[in-house]
Amino acid sequence: MSDRQPQDPVIALEGLTVAFPRYGGEPVRVLKGIDLALAPGEVVGVVGESGSGKTMLARAIMRLVPRPGRIEAGRISFDGRDMGQLDGEALRRLRGRDIAMIIANPRSELDPLETVGQQIGNVLRHHLTLDKPAIRARSLELLRQVSIPDPERRINAYPHELSGGMAQRVVMAIALACQPRFIISDDATSGLDVTVQAQVLELMRKLVVERGTSLLFITRDIGITAHFCDRVAVLFAGEIVEIGPRHAFFADPKHPYAILLLAAYAQNERLRRYWLGDTTAGAAEGPATTGCPFARRCVRAQDRCRTEHPRLEEMAPGHFARCHFPVER
Amino acid sequence: MQLLAYLGRRLLFVAPQLVGILLVSFFLLKLIPGDPAVMMLGPFATDDGLARLRAELGLDRSLLEQFLIYLGNVLQGDLGTSWQTTLPVTTDLAQRFPATLELVTLALLLALAIGVPLGVAGARYKKGLLRTTADYYGLFAGALPDFWFGLVLIFLFYTTWALVPAPLGRLDFVILPPPEITGSLLIDSTLAGNWQALRNAAGHLVLPVLTLGLINAGPILKMTQSTMERMLESDFSRYAEMCGLPERVVARKALRNALPSVVTIVSVLYGFLIGGAVLVEIVFSWGGAGQYAVGGVLNADLNPVMGFVLYSAILSLVIYLIVDLIYFAIDPRTR
Repeated sequence: MSDRQPQDPVIALEGLTVAFPRYGGEPVRVLKGIDLALAPGEVVGVVGESGSGKTMLARAIMRLVPRPGRIEAGRISFDGRDMGQLDGEALRRLRGRDIAMIIANPRSELDPLETVGQQIGNVLRHHLTLDKPAIRARSLELLRQVSIPDPERRINAYPHELSGGMAQRVVMAIALACQPRFIISDDATSGLDVTVQAQVLELMRKLVVERGTSLLFITRDIGITAHFCDRVAVLFAGEIVEIGPRHAFFADPKHPYAILLLAAYAQNERLRRYWLGDTTAGAAEGPATTGCPFARRCVRAQDRCRTEHPRLEEMAPGHFARCHFPVER
Repeated sequence: MQLLAYLGRRLLFVAPQLVGILLVSFFLLKLIPGDPAVMMLGPFATDDGLARLRAELGLDRSLLEQFLIYLGNVLQGDLGTSWQTTLPVTTDLAQRFPATLELVTLALLLALAIGVPLGVAGARYKKGLLRTTADYYGLFAGALPDFWFGLVLIFLFYTTWALVPAPLGRLDFVILPPPEITGSLLIDSTLAGNWQALRNAAGHLVLPVLTLGLINAGPILKMTQSTMERMLESDFSRYAEMCGLPERVVARKALRNALPSVVTIVSVLYGFLIGGAVLVEIVFSWGGAGQYAVGGVLNADLNPVMGFVLYSAILSLVIYLIVDLIYFAIDPRTR
């Protein structure tokens, strides 16, 4: 496994497992043994359907798993330091300063009673030692960086006075405030119009590339990851089922689930046929198995898939898939 | 400017609202059986005398006519006379309404001082002494009847330990009351520089304020705690946590967002306690507005009741207006 991990990763997850206790039963594991490491400046896209554990992944990295869930196993290290060893105060200082989050639906996640300037200022004040004029100057600079027109006026606006795209930029400005080493974007572009989405993505790409920030780009839109991710990971039922360099992944997807995702996204028939190959789209859902969690929906599933849980195996350099019968083309 | 226009629009509706309130309460009160003439003249009245009195009181006319006459009088500032006190209702209420207001205002301030911090603590800590205290306080304050609690306090603080003056009214008989300016004994005696009256009035206030305050801290605590809990679990609190803001900053944001609910419950309690403090007023012989109105209802003495309704309605409208102004100040979305 170690050969696909970058040499000096900014953030490294090893066997990250998050579980929710269930009354009178086995705990429900929403993330199962996630291994993932991001090199400085690397952009990794994480794609998955609702309930695949995308948001839980973001929250687990922040060490903010909602109660009663908890990190059951695994290690998260930031800059080589095990985050599990840090106390609450040290973790708090890491959040927002070194690890920042860009969230979806920013209009409900921003405090409705505080102005844009107050919310950016809050983060600056509690992480950096800046005086009032410096905070204001830095806030205006941040708003300018995220291309908000007329920042002098917007700094006094309340969240309800902002459009969705504008609020998204404010959240980006807050994420960039302390020049973090690592940013998690959790479905951040999902609520936006296509044109605004394109602008926001371009902005995000520019800011990340210019500063060499690592970005974990979580989304349910696999098409977006094709634009600017160095690597793409596919999350299914709390597991990474495929991960690989962008070109390898889009040219030669291996896992049947990843292929179905791609085919569902494909807008032209030729591309769709290319990806699907001899696989037909969709299968009726079968009974749950002890083997591969995708077996019940997989058209290629065989007996072995229903009994034996597949391991993540290297199919090509840096390109891994968790499948007994990966698609060859 | 926007605020002034809003205030103007609100005040425009005050008069029709008050007429509506008077109309409804007038007819509802007339539904209560009981003849004022019989009450006033006693069991040995003659039919002749009763008829004469009814005519004098205007009771022989139609209900609508009676109401219009009453409304006309009200517009001239005449709320009628109470046959029990034989004084004009305005005079009676000028004395009793401030007594109740002073009591209820202080009690609610105390309730706020207890309920809000305890509610916030109960929401912030999932376990521990503060959380347990908050849980049990809410339970006990909800379960204890205020008049009984008042009697317990009297037994302890007056009968047993003799720490407070006798629970008979607002001032000892031997103390000269300060000249009436606002009706609040605390303020009036301070203005007059009458420190003896001030100390005595404060002593009389201690127990009834404790009674009402400790009991009414319950709903304020519950409301603060539940709203605060919701706010702490809301998206913006989670986001603030992700931004690495300290816990106390997250709690302060949550409290600010919870404040409108607290203001609402306080305004509801305020309006309610003007009449609802009556049992405590009776226990402490307070001579407040609630006591006056209940006396009116029991003795078919209509004018005090109508006067009380009118005063409480005006007070409620003022309170709701203040509440709206507070929302205005807290929440930019209402602007």
